[in-house]
Amino acid sequence: MKKMHHLQITSGQIGKFVIMPGDPGRCHLIAEHFENPQLIAQSREYTTYTGKYKGLRVSVTSTGMGCPSAAIALEELIISGAKYLIRLGTTGALQKNINLGDIIIPTSAVRLEGTSVEYIPIEFPAIADIDIVDALIKITHTKNEKFHTGIIMSHDAFYKGSVFADPDFLKREQVWIDSNVLSVENESSAIFTIGYLRKVKVGTILTTVANHLTREVITDEEKVNPIFHLLTDICLEAFKNLGE
Amino acid sequence: MQYHIKCKKGEVNKAVLLPGDIERADYIGTKFFNKSKKITENREFHIYNGLYENKPLAVCSTGIGCMSAAVAIEELTNIGCKYFIRVGTCGSLSPEVNMADIIIVTGAVRGDGASKEYVPIEYPAVADYRTVNTLRNRAKKEDTDYKLGIIRTHDAFYMESPFAFGDYKKKIALWAEAGTLAIENESSTLFVIGSLRKVQVGTILVTAGNLITGKESPKNRLQKSIDKAIIIAAGALVDLQEEEKI
Repeated sequence: MKKMHHLQITSGQIGKFVIMPGDPGRCHLIAEHFENPQLIAQSREYTTYTGKYKGLRVSVTSTGMGCPSAAIALEELIISGAKYLIRLGTTGALQKNINLGDIIIPTSAVRLEGTSVEYIPIEFPAIADIDIVDALIKITHTKNEKFHTGIIMSHDAFYKGSVFADPDFLKREQVWIDSNVLSVENESSAIFTIGYLRKVKVGTILTTVANHLTREVITDEEKVNPIFHLLTDICLEAFKNLGE
Repeated sequence: MQYHIKCKKGEVNKAVLLPGDIERADYIGTKFFNKSKKITENREFHIYNGLYENKPLAVCSTGIGCMSAAVAIEELTNIGCKYFIRVGTCGSLSPEVNMADIIIVTGAVRGDGASKEYVPIEYPAVADYRTVNTLRNRAKKEDTDYKLGIIRTHDAFYMESPFAFGDYKKKIALWAEAGTLAIENESSTLFVIGSLRKVQVGTILVTAGNLITGKESPKNRLQKSIDKAIIIAAGALVDLQEEEKI
């Protein structure tokens, strides 16, 4: 069987349920939650493991940073048989009431990126699949974890819109802050759009690692890892709910 | 006193059905509400309060298009309304959405002009997810099938409808191919204003015709589905108010 051009996987090698972190270095943390995880492929920023979770065949594939590489990962995963896909990543908050470590489950995303516009005109909404949003919220709620749900913003230029950007970044973000956008990241709007077009279920769950208003930021990766384990648990339980 | 709807704070119940058509507001207010009371009537805005399943509801017609719909939801929000469900008709863009089918909307293409004055075009017009879920639960309770997905909102009826001039099918082909279920004239702006003003907005639609086949839904089946959509939407507004108490 032919291997996918970028992911270097073949269609029998992944499950219907896929977790998508941005960072290939975090895939092994997620795969630790699988029974009998197998490393399937490592190519460019794409690392893939497949295993089992409570009877479901599940995979993890990293997307790399940004919508161009995330769109490639999503398209090749869909061709390979994925039906339920959840991005698991980090985000920078745009609202004062969102603290470092808080969970964000977006319903939709501002399309401030270039990739999704090549698919469909900009007025088309980038919306997460409601069944995935629902499952993520239910599981997060039962774990008594604090979370926020609403609109996030996806963009392409990290050094124009982050706590590491030039001092004027908040001026550019003011329109989104005023529009109740919860936070900023780099992949969701394209994967939501493509998910709808390809008729697969795509959602996102994020952990807050920065706040643009207070300029606080978590730089120690070790501090983020326990939250990644928690979010992995939430994703896998959500898959179990969706699979039933 | 609000400039167009001619109401003051506290005068309209906080959960509101939003039909486009004035006559449909009268129909809902008089046929579906108990202890119905007409509050005001000005321009295309007819407003009634009443009880549904013993809970206070209201109905306000928006007129056709995002311009007047934006005025209605802004002024209703100003006087304390919090839950809004548009109940209307639409034209199907999909072979899977048939005559008189019910659609519960998750989001809308922003093909309108009004929402662009509020926030840049890349901002999503997304329905409140609790409202979507509550509508789905009520539809299930009513044993009613429905389609779920994205629709297109636009301004110029005579550019994209079976009555349109020129080759309207060419204009809608892109949206049909993208899996956009149907086309109507108010939801995108209602959703955007809902997100900006932190009020909960949803939409339930009935297919009045199919833009691909050019067929119109039979009148009796259409009315039956509209009644069903009103019952589902009114029930959802009851449930949303109940949820708030918990």
